[in-house]
Amino acid sequence: MSGAAVTFTSRERDPADAISALAGLGFVAEPSHTVTRTLLDSFDGRLHAAGLRLELNEGAGLDLILSGLDVVPARVRVDSVPRSAADLAPGPFRTRLAAVLDVRALFAVLRVTSTQTRATLRDRAAKTVATASVHDDVRVLDRDGVAGVPRWIVEVDEIEGYAKPARQARDVLGEQLGLERVDGDVLTIAAAGAGVDLAGFSSSPTVPLDPAMPAIDGFRAVLANLADTIVANWQGTIDRVDPEFLHDLRVAVRRTRTIVTQGKRVLPPAVVEQAGERFAALGSLTGPVRDLDVYLIEWQSYTEPLGADAMAALEPVRAVLARRRDEAHAALVAAMRSDAAAELMAAWRAWLNDPAGDEVPNVHADRALGKVVAKRIARVHATLVEDGRRIGPDTAAAEIHDLRKDAKKLRYLLECFASLLPKAPRKAFVRPLKALQDNLGEHQDAEVHIATLRAIAGELHDLGASSDTMLAIGQLSERLDQRRLAARAEFDRRFANYDTKSTRRAMRTALDALEE
Amino acid sequence: MKTLATYSIKGGVGKTTTAVNLAYEASRAGARVLLWDLDPQGAATFCFRVKPLVKGGVERLIGDKTALATNVYATDHAGLHIVPADFSLRHLDLHLDDSKRPIRRIATLLDALADLYDVAFLDCPPGVTLASESVFAAADALLVPTIPTTLSKRTLDQLSEFLADHPDPPVILAFVSMVDRRKKLQRQLVTELTEQTRGLLPTAIPNASAVELMGVERAPVAVYAPASPSALAFRQLWADVAARLWN
Repeated sequence: MSGAAVTFTSRERDPADAISALAGLGFVAEPSHTVTRTLLDSFDGRLHAAGLRLELNEGAGLDLILSGLDVVPARVRVDSVPRSAADLAPGPFRTRLAAVLDVRALFAVLRVTSTQTRATLRDRAAKTVATASVHDDVRVLDRDGVAGVPRWIVEVDEIEGYAKPARQARDVLGEQLGLERVDGDVLTIAAAGAGVDLAGFSSSPTVPLDPAMPAIDGFRAVLANLADTIVANWQGTIDRVDPEFLHDLRVAVRRTRTIVTQGKRVLPPAVVEQAGERFAALGSLTGPVRDLDVYLIEWQSYTEPLGADAMAALEPVRAVLARRRDEAHAALVAAMRSDAAAELMAAWRAWLNDPAGDEVPNVHADRALGKVVAKRIARVHATLVEDGRRIGPDTAAAEIHDLRKDAKKLRYLLECFASLLPKAPRKAFVRPLKALQDNLGEHQDAEVHIATLRAIAGELHDLGASSDTMLAIGQLSERLDQRRLAARAEFDRRFANYDTKSTRRAMRTALDALEE
Repeated sequence: MKTLATYSIKGGVGKTTTAVNLAYEASRAGARVLLWDLDPQGAATFCFRVKPLVKGGVERLIGDKTALATNVYATDHAGLHIVPADFSLRHLDLHLDDSKRPIRRIATLLDALADLYDVAFLDCPPGVTLASESVFAAADALLVPTIPTTLSKRTLDQLSEFLADHPDPPVILAFVSMVDRRKKLQRQLVTELTEQTRGLLPTAIPNASAVELMGVERAPVAVYAPASPSALAFRQLWADVAARLWN
């Protein structure tokens, strides 16, 4: 594959010098025009992480260009800026984007405008064999005082199969004209100049920690990072930009609760009491919205196997789910906009920012972080194994759900304190733990969704729903129950894979390293 | 990557016209497209103004697994690349026969580029040969232009019967090609073809002067006659194909 564009700039030379030098090689320049290019990505930079770049090019029309290093660029004309992959027409372009973005919305990460002059070199058959684009008056939009972007840039594109003419153009611009070669192209140079981090926001709970540091400092660092995640996802949750904002906020709140609870002998008692309760209340408000989000996200996979007629008959159910989700979201938004929520976050931030303010240090506050964390992980793991071994064929769903909570607690501890643990043994026991969690999640989703469906069936029956709808609800209920039973049947194997000597050995190895 | 071959037992039915225009429409719709010109006449290569040259000839192209990648050229259209043909391709069967697992050979060569493209179009010469067997093994679907004549349905049936015996045969996506709606007999034959051919794509490609100009303009119809009925028909035909294969 051809490489990325090779880019030059100069303080001494002008764009006209570059165009003139290219004309000497036979390049023909087209009339100049203003182009605005917008870099699009999800809030968490998924396209960037996947080595892809999605650009909206506003010139004669709106063109989306999906490219990347060693990736054949794909281009499609659109009528409007897509909010997500789902807004695009079916086909490979949408499929590729959706595979990376999933349900995440697209954001304008960076907007750059320039006056572009495109020059083309053609062979005797009038086939294009090299192109160059001169960008003059390069400006980053929506940002004041960006100083680090060169005034003008020329990009030489190598065309697949025609390396030589592009090489000649680069030689003339670099060696003969003396232009300065720069890394990247207009967008990446502008991003660097404007200080835009293309990686997006990371909701990862992992922070750098030292096992020898005082436990209070380690717990506080983890909680501060989680608070940043809560704050970063707050407005997106309220605006319902995409379901992942709520998901990431919810997980950060739940991780906060776990760390606070597990730090009950490290954190000041007043903090444990107040923060534990208030984050629990906030977390419980996110539950119904998330459950309904998952239901609606999974709707197609749930209903498609039932056939087109059943899908059409189930439309009233989908409408009720959407309405309930909207109502649950409205309740959540009201809580998030309340004075109580503002006070919670302000007080929490104030405590996180003021290490000297702990008037009554807790008993383990000054112990080595590694030792405290090792003990907590061992304890939660023991509880999980103990509870898991009690699960039998007749165990009630509520107990299985409690086991899921145990597993989550352990996972949160492992994720939040991951930087303390050696990678290889951590992975060795996280893998079966994750497999167990997935199984427990599938079981719980099916349980909740069956219960919701039954409630909606009652509501629709009272409203005089058609017999087709009621029959389709029966079909869907049966299908969800099959999923529930399949997850339940799989549980024993997944738990047995976790409850092994090798898992315990790997955990011991990881925890021993923490306590050294 | 999905592999689509424009194929017909008959010659002169619009295979290359279809390959050139659908490859262009696919790229216009945002797909990364590779068009492999397998016809020694190199008409698709000519339409994209690319030099008819296979580096090392067909012997190296078929014998060396890396040779396909070194023969890829960008066309003047974003996201559309071509492997050109030259006259050495007249010996394609011979060199396939010399290769390991000749029936799988074209698929094996394409596998090396599968991550780079969303769609590969194979523009095939007419006839039933070892090369066409290798194309059948590689292709997810055969795009079969079917002209409105009394013999066309028979040819299509022959192809269906022939492929029925194949393991994992490609889907046959037939469509009516080169139709002249001014002629009553042609209109009647199109109706009959539509009624008698299960899965026939709904869009018919007209026999129009805009299509004939491809050899002069050396570009897909939509480039020089974007509002012509032919250009719109090829766009709709690609939408039909995409709906069958991606929805």
